[in-house]
Amino acid sequence: MRPGWRLASIGVLVAALFSMLVLRMWFLQVSEIEDSLEVAESQQVLTVTVDAPRGDVFDRDGTELMAGTIANLRVVVDRRLVPEEREDELIENLSTLLGISAEEIRDTFEENGEGRRFPVGGEIGQSTGIFALENIESFPGISIEPVPVRVYPLGETAAHIVGYVGAPGAIDLERPDISARDQVGKFGVERSYDRLLRGTPGRITYRINGQGQILGVIDETPPQPGGSVVTTIDLDTQRFVEESLAAAIRLARQEGETDVKRAAAVVMDPRDGSIIAMASVPSFDPTLFADGQISQEEWDRLSEDAVLNNFAIQGLYPPGSSFKVPVYALALEEDIYPTVDDDEDDDDGGINPFPDDPTAWYSDGQLLFPETPPLNDWREGGHGWVTLSTSLHESVNTYYWSIALQIWNNRGVEWEEDLLQEWARTLGFGDRTGIDLPFEQQGLVPDREWFQFHQRGNTGLVRTEGVWAGGDVMNIATGQGALVVTPIQMATAYAALVNGGTVWQPRVVDSVRDAENNELFSNLPSAARVVDLKATTVLRLKNDLRGVVSAVNGTARRAFEEFCDGEGPGEEAGGCPALDEVGGKTGTAEIARATNEDEQDIDTAWFVGVAPLSDPEWVVAVVVDQGGSGGQVAAPTARRIFQLLMGESPDPIRSGDDTER
Amino acid sequence: MTMLRNVELRARTAIGRPDFLLIAVIAALSALGIIMIFTASAPRLEAEGISRTSQMTRQMVFVGIGLVAFVVASLISDRNWQLLAPWVYVGSLLLLIAVLSPIGAFRQGAQRWISFGILDLQPSELAKPAVILVLALLLAPVEENRMRWMRIARAMALVALPSLLIFVQPDLGTMLVFGFVVVTMLFVAGTTVRQLVALVLVAAIVLAVAVQLDVLEEYQIERLTGFLNPDEQTLSTNYNQNQSQIAIGSGGMFGRGLFEGTQTNLSFVPAQTTDFIFTALAEQLGFVGGVIVIALFAILVWRMLVIAALARDRFGQLAASGVAAMVAFHTFVNIGMTVGLLPVTGLPLPFMSFGGSFYLAMAVSAGVVHSIWLRRARIPGDGVR
Repeated sequence: MRPGWRLASIGVLVAALFSMLVLRMWFLQVSEIEDSLEVAESQQVLTVTVDAPRGDVFDRDGTELMAGTIANLRVVVDRRLVPEEREDELIENLSTLLGISAEEIRDTFEENGEGRRFPVGGEIGQSTGIFALENIESFPGISIEPVPVRVYPLGETAAHIVGYVGAPGAIDLERPDISARDQVGKFGVERSYDRLLRGTPGRITYRINGQGQILGVIDETPPQPGGSVVTTIDLDTQRFVEESLAAAIRLARQEGETDVKRAAAVVMDPRDGSIIAMASVPSFDPTLFADGQISQEEWDRLSEDAVLNNFAIQGLYPPGSSFKVPVYALALEEDIYPTVDDDEDDDDGGINPFPDDPTAWYSDGQLLFPETPPLNDWREGGHGWVTLSTSLHESVNTYYWSIALQIWNNRGVEWEEDLLQEWARTLGFGDRTGIDLPFEQQGLVPDREWFQFHQRGNTGLVRTEGVWAGGDVMNIATGQGALVVTPIQMATAYAALVNGGTVWQPRVVDSVRDAENNELFSNLPSAARVVDLKATTVLRLKNDLRGVVSAVNGTARRAFEEFCDGEGPGEEAGGCPALDEVGGKTGTAEIARATNEDEQDIDTAWFVGVAPLSDPEWVVAVVVDQGGSGGQVAAPTARRIFQLLMGESPDPIRSGDDTER
Repeated sequence: MTMLRNVELRARTAIGRPDFLLIAVIAALSALGIIMIFTASAPRLEAEGISRTSQMTRQMVFVGIGLVAFVVASLISDRNWQLLAPWVYVGSLLLLIAVLSPIGAFRQGAQRWISFGILDLQPSELAKPAVILVLALLLAPVEENRMRWMRIARAMALVALPSLLIFVQPDLGTMLVFGFVVVTMLFVAGTTVRQLVALVLVAAIVLAVAVQLDVLEEYQIERLTGFLNPDEQTLSTNYNQNQSQIAIGSGGMFGRGLFEGTQTNLSFVPAQTTDFIFTALAEQLGFVGGVIVIALFAILVWRMLVIAALARDRFGQLAASGVAAMVAFHTFVNIGMTVGLLPVTGLPLPFMSFGGSFYLAMAVSAGVVHSIWLRRARIPGDGVR
């Protein structure tokens, strides 16, 4: 008897098993073929990114290089080409070759990750490179390549404008065009124009085999080099301004202001909002960041003095009397003049010597309000009979307090109570000017809403008792209290007041050009808003700004003495026509340190000037942080800068009048 | 009855017509194997600066040797095979011992080869037909449903002896082949279904204990567990299989054409001339080509089972069904592995994978089956076909 059924059942089992194979193959080859093809394709290609050369940064003439890229010979490791079992050997050999510890190299390997291509160590000499290539079997997967390195030939000059590049942070990495091994602009123009400077990286797609060997090129897109930035900066002026600020710091120190920290300045063209010079001293050398290997020590040193901050746009200072200029303009625009005379001693000053000037007012050095101690002017005994004009020349605090009081007393009748604040905001205070540099501060113009918010929240920024009052507006009128501004805001506002009302959005970059000098991007002058100023207002303001530096009692008179070098036209007989074209306003913002008797008050010294007054080309804002009085330190610094701008030979900075204390 | 007896008598003396279908299928598989070995190895060899045909030429030599072995094995009568069986078995045991001695070559983490200059002998492959022959000899006297446990135990012992020697090498795949073959042959020999179930249960328990006691090498467990977690592509054992599936998948319905299989020709798939030869075929010739190959194997197994049914005695029947089981198991496990149905076990594809010992073992086994065919029982009506 033959057990045929047993053989037959084996046949059935085998048939079933083989059917499973066929089904599985149908699944792989017919129904899911798209997936397989996709994976297969992606394995057979290798795409390598070719970095685009980063664009340069030039001065306003497009001739002097502010930031550029050079190529350093470096060892580049392609980890895809390093057999895993030889990695330790390679690291050891590289350590010997480059003279850096194996541990450090291993860290570099780990940071970059597997399958990556990255430079190891710093710049190497030609002979080192040749040695490595001759002994390539000891260095699997390396190549010797020129690696682009950012250079900043000006060093500390204009460092805050140029900025620097560095490894991308978490936010940078969210940009689709940035990978972890890229360098991105971290500060200054390098940051704000990063996208245009960066260019578009190219790609080469290779066909590879299972061992990763390159068989051929499938596709090649050459990199598009980044554009070159032409700034609005005049480097001669820039260097001069930086030197002058350094000298101002030295002067302040000589004058006993031992806490003086830094100085910042802006030179702006009021005709188009372009920045001719912008300095924040002390500065730093961006080259420190170029190779991405800044030491912790260096970093700490830079951080301690906050030298990495551009105080011209990031520094927040109370403006002091330099803020009287916007108030002055508002007074003329709205016809708000002091009428109040709340003196205790009934001294009305007798006969008004300016019967035709509605702005005339008698200053006896004190102003009284109900329920507060009398407010004293910085000059004891007052300034006598003053007008709006002389109030500016002499910086009469009581006059501006009276204007503020006038605004306060007529609030809700002729205007809203925040008339002055709205005016300040119209001129650009309390908001970013929109300059094309990163990290600009917006400052603060305080009002009732702000006050109540902080009083309710008990934030410690405002007094816990009492309500928003006329005194707070009076503080604003003399640039004190919670009001804080940046130098760039100050320059922008002055520029608007002397150019007839155009509040510019300041700019440090004029255009971005490609290698053929075609404009890729044109940063045309752009106005944030235009204020409708009376022509008479502008004219009188310019006259009275001249008075500050020229009038007998002008707070900056001493600082501007001997402005002319006696060599220009009209200067033979000791005249100085150039000085007639210069005007400005001093400012001293004082924050008393009541806590410690020994410590100095924190004085911020300001001078904001304009020249030539007949057709303004420059607005110069100078601030010396903890530098003493504006007339004493800031005005002489501005004078020196104006001397350069006006073609006179600049004199060394010497102390001016101690004013406005 | 008289007629039948006459037929029997004639059959004992005369040799019948060769089984051309069996021969044709084997020839087709061998030829496909040679082509695939050529297409899969040529680009790599060329890149290495070696003659592109060198590996194919070697396989052609193996096929030539196999052809001689097939003819010789066919000419040796099944009765003589019966007599030779114990000696073949002992001989293969000796070779297995020799491979573990210093004569044996240690390669790719295993000691499987005995080197004879240009030809490397792999005794574990030759042990496969030897075990089939000796099992057929042992089980031939058993009648339907009369299998005693004692005989089953002796059968297991005959398998265990070479298995143990192979296990030391180690070669998990061959042990699995033995397992499948012995179970199939016991079934054909006439075990009850209950005996068979008990046997499989015992085998499962032994395997579980082996895993528990860390008897298996780590890579073997890794292969098995890696198969269970196919997404962990980092495992290099899984890499093989993933690449294989990608290659097969990209073949599509009609394949990419010879030398057009990028995955194969760019060496993404490892061991593509040996264990993964089917991958090269399925990528280049597609679903259609793959199904044709599976069909060829199905015909081969079917022919062998038919021969088993026609064998003139129990020895022939058992030997033929043992070889059928071996071929079927190899085919299923190998292709199953390349398409990702089964874990990687390192079993080559009969008649197609590159390798001398394996081809020789398969040729001898097929030769034995063919010898049984040539001396088969002439049942009525058979001569008409």
